[in-house]
Amino acid sequence: MKTVSSTATLWSKISAALPRDEEEFPLQFGDKVESSVVEMLKRCRRQLYSDATAASRMLNAQIVVDVSWEKLNTGTWRHVDKEWRRVYSCGCLFKVAALCRDDPSADEVVQAVRTCDMGLLMGADIMDDILQVIVRILQGEVRKPTELEEESEHTEVKRMKTEIPRAPVIKEELAIPRIKCPSLESFSTNYLLPLKPVVLEGTIGHWPALNEHPWSIGYLRSVAGCRTVPVEVGSRYTDEGWSQTLLTVNEFIDRHIWNKIPELKEDIRPPDYCCLGEGDEDDITVNAWFGPGGTVSPLHQDPQQNFLAQVVGSKYIRLYSPEDTDKLYPHQSKLLHNTSQVEVENPDAERFPEFARAPYLECVLQPGDVLFIPVRHWHYVRSLELSFSVSFWWS
Amino acid sequence: MEGARGDAANDVKVSGPTELASKADRRGCCCLKTACQIRASWSRRASLHFDSDSCVCLAGFVSSEAWSGLPLRESRGCRDALISESCLTLAFSDRLESWDLQKEEKTPSWSMEITPPPESSGPSVGLPLVPGGYIATKPPLYRSLSPQLRAKSLALSSEHAILLSASGAVYTWGLGSHGQLGHGGLSSEEEPRAVEALLGMPMSCIATGSWHTVCISDGGDLYVWGWNESGQLGLPSRALHQDVGTSPAEGPQEGEQHEEVFISIQAFPALLDITPSCEIRSVSCGCRHTAAVTTTGDLYTWGWGDYGQLGHQTLISSDEPQRVEFFREQQMQVADVVCGSWNTFAAVVKDEVSCS
Repeated sequence: MKTVSSTATLWSKISAALPRDEEEFPLQFGDKVESSVVEMLKRCRRQLYSDATAASRMLNAQIVVDVSWEKLNTGTWRHVDKEWRRVYSCGCLFKVAALCRDDPSADEVVQAVRTCDMGLLMGADIMDDILQVIVRILQGEVRKPTELEEESEHTEVKRMKTEIPRAPVIKEELAIPRIKCPSLESFSTNYLLPLKPVVLEGTIGHWPALNEHPWSIGYLRSVAGCRTVPVEVGSRYTDEGWSQTLLTVNEFIDRHIWNKIPELKEDIRPPDYCCLGEGDEDDITVNAWFGPGGTVSPLHQDPQQNFLAQVVGSKYIRLYSPEDTDKLYPHQSKLLHNTSQVEVENPDAERFPEFARAPYLECVLQPGDVLFIPVRHWHYVRSLELSFSVSFWWS
Repeated sequence: MEGARGDAANDVKVSGPTELASKADRRGCCCLKTACQIRASWSRRASLHFDSDSCVCLAGFVSSEAWSGLPLRESRGCRDALISESCLTLAFSDRLESWDLQKEEKTPSWSMEITPPPESSGPSVGLPLVPGGYIATKPPLYRSLSPQLRAKSLALSSEHAILLSASGAVYTWGLGSHGQLGHGGLSSEEEPRAVEALLGMPMSCIATGSWHTVCISDGGDLYVWGWNESGQLGLPSRALHQDVGTSPAEGPQEGEQHEEVFISIQAFPALLDITPSCEIRSVSCGCRHTAAVTTTGDLYTWGWGDYGQLGHQTLISSDEPQRVEFFREQQMQVADVVCGSWNTFAAVVKDEVSCS
């Protein structure tokens, strides 16, 4: 990789990240990718390193994106050939190059960021995660919000603080036990092996995400505002109007978040206790969850162990043992068979008579707490205020 | 043809109807001057000529420019042909052959002998139907069909199938994740299952796109179901109505609240009204668009339009059936339509000279 000065143009920074020439640009795909598509990819590659009109570069890149998009939507996602996902990422790469080549406008840069995100979300790794490298370069080019915008957000913050969240009182006999910094051995013996839930206190206090300077909406926008992320829309996923969509972080903040939210930092660490599992660090699935107060995750179970770390705001959580599944009325359909039909805090006693007899444990998870949800334990979550959590799925 | 890729020398997106160029004169080929049928995949077009010297000619992404448009020697004497992105399937009176289009080989990659049905057993069926079954898009290529289905025609996408029986009943099977089976849900079917919503209404013509299904009733009505993400069902599609470039500073209280109902997936057949009202004679689907010919010779198209495949001189998708005005302006009657993945081919009859 060549080094470039800070005054280099956007294109020179991007092309420094790309292979030096056509020969060094790999385009090898398995049999599933037809030769006609490979031919289109080769045309794109040729145009990357030679003269061509902007329109022609865009057209050829878009053809690759469109044809691979169709493959990605054919059949079940699980069975989509990884080669087609790589083709899709290549198409996105060529499209980004076409957009950024000739002094791109601000709008073209935003489009390029979105294209990188689509390639990262739906594609598969190509050329050592080159889309990640390029999107970082692009983010540096996207303008930060003005001071005026930050001011108006502060006044909204003051209004929201006068609302008091409805926090349930936890009954002592039903409370999930709490323990401060247990040793690996004691966690393993007392909680992991017998699959008993517990709230771990004081284990993530060192996270930079909990130690840093005050976060602001402005900071999040400047760091990640133009990035596209999957968003669940609707207060619970069993509602009819619930859907998933792709939004930029800016759009998500504008439409759904009105309060201070923390910045999503990269340096959060999986709890040490994950090492007691069978997989290694790469097998841990980390997800960040943020959303307004009142967001409900309906009662459901997951096929892996889960550490739910609370960073900002608090959540009311109730746990049911897998032994009591028969009292929890899971949906019959294949899609939702790990989800209960019962509304936990407002159960329909006529339709679900056994539910009231199912024993449970509960807690209010506070910032700094980590809840161990043993594998297949049913869990129900309601955020009591704006909440930011990180979950670690491991086996 | 509209929307053809790489077919005309310089234009990748052809957004208005354009007469198919024939290389006949220079090479003495019969292509396109006599009656022929068109089949198209993503990157190629096959022209089928059925006269005393039946043959198939290929155009598009062919391995050698030299034989583009010339009759394929391997195809001489064939009765029917189907083209996919990877292979050309030929039906002869006594056998079926599948040729790999990505390699230049002397023998077909797959073949099967068939016993031609007796003359009295009714009209012959076209590919992908073959005696006793059909040719699938992926291995195993030959699959049997119960004779009780009395298959009259069959349309396949890579993940689902629709069968029209002699009685006018419609059966579907395969993946249903986008509602393309028309049974009201999203689950798959392993065996042909009758589309109950259409029972009692005989259908006369069927077609499939990648994720949608269309059929025409005896009375000329059009029924659609499946995925509508590009407006290919002719029903309101959200993606086609999203405002581009709205100010990001609008909060939910200030933004416009549209109360429109959009349809993303139509899991039961829906009757599609084409205005002004008309009877549909034939229909064909590309991956994400639909084209229909009326009994009065008009062509209507709707769905994905990014490559000009709708023929309205634009690159805009449409979720409402729109007439292709070109043919009226040129005083041509559209007789039939065939869609490739991202393009559309119309056979026309000119008022003064008869040709197709």
